[in-house]
Amino acid sequence: MEAYLVAIAIVTGIYVLLALGLNLQYGLTGIINFGHVGFFCVGAYTAAILSQHGVSLFITLPASAALAALAAWPLGLVSLRLRDDYFAIVSLGFSEVVRLIVTSERWLTNGVQGIPGIPRMFADLSGMSQASAVLGLLLVLNLVAIFAMRRMVSSPFGRMIEAIRDNEEAVKALGKDPARFKLRVLMLGSALAGVGGAVYAHYIGFIAPEQFIPLITFQIWMAIIMGGVGRVSGALVGTIILMVFMEGSRFLRDVLPFISEVEMASVRIGIVGLALILFTIHRPQGLMGDYTRK
Amino acid sequence: MRDIIELASIGLVSGLVIGLAALAVTLVFGIARFANAATGDTMTLGAYAALIGTAWTGSFLAGGALGIAAGAATGLLAYHFVFKKLEQRSSVASLLASIGVGFVIRAVLGLVFGHGQQVFQLPMVRPFRIYDIRVQPNDLKIAAAAIVTLVVVFLILHATPIGRRMRAVADDPMLAKVSGIAPKRVMIALWALAGGVSAVAGVLLGMKTVVSPEMGWEMLLPAFAAAVLGGIGHPVGAVVAGILLGVAQEVVSPLVGFTYKIALTYAVLLGVLLFRPRGLFGRNEGVR
Repeated sequence: MEAYLVAIAIVTGIYVLLALGLNLQYGLTGIINFGHVGFFCVGAYTAAILSQHGVSLFITLPASAALAALAAWPLGLVSLRLRDDYFAIVSLGFSEVVRLIVTSERWLTNGVQGIPGIPRMFADLSGMSQASAVLGLLLVLNLVAIFAMRRMVSSPFGRMIEAIRDNEEAVKALGKDPARFKLRVLMLGSALAGVGGAVYAHYIGFIAPEQFIPLITFQIWMAIIMGGVGRVSGALVGTIILMVFMEGSRFLRDVLPFISEVEMASVRIGIVGLALILFTIHRPQGLMGDYTRK
Repeated sequence: MRDIIELASIGLVSGLVIGLAALAVTLVFGIARFANAATGDTMTLGAYAALIGTAWTGSFLAGGALGIAAGAATGLLAYHFVFKKLEQRSSVASLLASIGVGFVIRAVLGLVFGHGQQVFQLPMVRPFRIYDIRVQPNDLKIAAAAIVTLVVVFLILHATPIGRRMRAVADDPMLAKVSGIAPKRVMIALWALAGGVSAVAGVLLGMKTVVSPEMGWEMLLPAFAAAVLGGIGHPVGAVVAGILLGVAQEVVSPLVGFTYKIALTYAVLLGVLLFRPRGLFGRNEGVR
């Protein structure tokens, strides 16, 4: 039971990293990134491929962050000057193309079979202490990310990105170039997703293209919208609700054994969809959001 | 050379399907002003409804009609329960909700029909040759159905009062409103039309390949790409761009391989956004 709770906590920690990245992009800056899973995927494959070649884990993590950010750079350069909804489409396409590439380029990624046997973190520890060490690392990573975002929000850069979110035209009129700030935010958020991907790859030990479907992106969207857009507490609470629901649906199968695993997958998709619809209509500011504002 | 022409003719058929999907996207974008990500899943729903209808009645035409009706009904339901409530909000809200609508449709289809692939029982016919170019009779039927649908849609848009009102709202919603056009009726017509067109695209795609819960979602990117390439909100542009994309996909597939066919539409999308964001036919407004 304890091992199970730690395992859930680790997955939650990875999701919180992703949610923090998306929260920075959408919540603070207003970038509609529908391709978050693509950067997660880049991070995971970077870590997996590097560590297969014997690269130390101290390098795979930063390398994953760097490569995910680097992947975001051309994408943002091309499309962040466009309307928000165009960027949404382009980023969704980006994540699908990333998945296409890792599926097709067998020599690098082993195609649909995926990469097994990715070295674990803290391999010299065993069992619970190893899992706890991973959890500790995630805690540190998340705290650093949260601390950095707190600092950022109260900095001139933070005020600028919030201004871009609230009124891009006004920012332009003041002679600033919103696209440059958005590009930096996109890369930062993607780096967070990349780190999340690296921890995921090292923790799960096996990655394959089918793990990086757009549903993951929209689970993160569901988490930040439920929790409350633009708030660190929102990203946390939303992710926890998401995990309760994901794990809960697993237990539901024990209670209702007549539901098959594929049917359960459909139910999960449906609930993510319903949550997106209901929260955008009825509670756009999320559970942790400002209750005075409508 | 003959190979290329054969590929191009195959591409022409899939291009018509992409064009129909893009038409549905661009109609909604032009009038309701957001990118409707539920278009793909509405296509899937239309295909499944047509499968049922064909199984019930034994007639493929009746099945197709049921598919269209189901697509139109889905569009209307989505409008009534979701998009109507988000009209006063930013397009982001509707876009996000449309992802949700798509997911709900896919979940229901997955629960009802399972995740296996199904096929339309079309008669197997020998391909015949026109000027030494192989033509599949089924492809001809698909193309004919697509063209008939396009003609009907453009007749509705250009030769009926409601079509004229729809174009007026697309042009300038405020002006349309002060001219006494009731926005709600236009919206109802729009969602029925867009849902029906999506369903036709789904049925034809299902005839061409197989019917599965993911089929429409996978068409979303090509459909968006064609809508952008044609100039967003421009119906003729969407269809022309869809055909261009379909032909381009088939013609380059021997060069880049089967899997990267979809990546080509993405490259086109990026290229258009970089160099000509208003697309082939679009007006220069509100893109940048």
